[in-house]
Amino acid sequence: MSHVTIYSTPSCVYCKMAKEFFAKNGVQYEEFNVGSDLKAREDMVAKSHQLGVPVIDIDGNIVIGFDQKNLETLLGLGVK
Amino acid sequence: MYDLIIIGGGPGGVAAGVYAARKKMRTALVTGDFGGQSVVSAGIENWIGTKTISGFDLAKSLEEHLRAQKDIEIFTGELVTAVTKKEDGTFSMTTKSGKVLDAKNIILASGSRRKRLGIPGEDRLDGKGVVFCTTCDAPLFGGQDVAVVGGANSALESVLDLIPYAKKIYLLVRGDALKGDPVTQDKVKTHPQVEVVFGAVPQEITGDAFVNGIRYQDKGKVGTPDETKTLAVTGVFVEVGLLPNSDFVKALVKTEPYGHVVVDPATQQTSCPGIWAIGDVTDTLYKQNNISVGEGVKAALNVYDKVKLG
Repeated sequence: MSHVTIYSTPSCVYCKMAKEFFAKNGVQYEEFNVGSDLKAREDMVAKSHQLGVPVIDIDGNIVIGFDQKNLETLLGLGVK
Repeated sequence: MYDLIIIGGGPGGVAAGVYAARKKMRTALVTGDFGGQSVVSAGIENWIGTKTISGFDLAKSLEEHLRAQKDIEIFTGELVTAVTKKEDGTFSMTTKSGKVLDAKNIILASGSRRKRLGIPGEDRLDGKGVVFCTTCDAPLFGGQDVAVVGGANSALESVLDLIPYAKKIYLLVRGDALKGDPVTQDKVKTHPQVEVVFGAVPQEITGDAFVNGIRYQDKGKVGTPDETKTLAVTGVFVEVGLLPNSDFVKALVKTEPYGHVVVDPATQQTSCPGIWAIGDVTDTLYKQNNISVGEGVKAALNVYDKVKLG
């Protein structure tokens, strides 16, 4: 099972889409709200070298934005 | 070979999809995701039949309605990158992931995308303080000074989204007046955290790893010389309007100078037989979710008339 972390803000719709995508595919994830969690925000910037959300970390592979195809590849999900 | 391929999953594309499926045409719909540009909106208050709905919930209800149809194939996470017309009059299209799909008819519902400023620093610092989705990233600018560029509804809404977080918000407006809903204009103009700068033409977004400022030309009063000014800001929110997503069909259909596809408003047909276009990608006068839906229905029924006549 991959270790998945998502850095998000509560108002970000692409973050919601990513989380729904995870839920639909039975992917467990850890979430940090970088709007309020400054330590998590620093981690996100250090990993992605940018400020936009969502940032998704899959076993050290960093995906910026909700890139469904890329997530499917990294998580080894069959294309529907 | 499909009877119909619909390109786009906004309100117009979904409306066309529902009607086409119910007419049992062999239909596919190809889209990145559902909901169109409104998906990032916190609250849509003019979607007829619903007092208020978030863009996210609207997208979900559109997707659910489409997926409830039996006779349609749906490809999501996909972008059509090229369309060609073959000698027999049918079409072939290629997607970003390399899929090739063939169809007798196309409904183009590809909508529009954010216009960019086209100034130095904008691309380099994209995501590093240059923001194209305010609702997403506003919470990251808590206590900071930021600039919003633009003067119409989307810029005004961007300012309102930032007020709970940013310390000071400069609104840089190219002209000498705001456009957009008067109610929203008043909220922005009277808010103590907001400073509206008229006659401001952005020149460069500055910063090394992240944005540290924006340089603009201040056109000042008529008859006085222009001045270059700089604002120290950590965020630049670009809200300067939209461009139609028509690049991949420009060789096939007639477009007007801004790239909007020219359609016959009675049928939504384009200049190319077999291609219809609906919603924001077209030269329709008003870009509205409700209007796109009507146009989608119109196009699907007109395609059906053609398919039925064979």
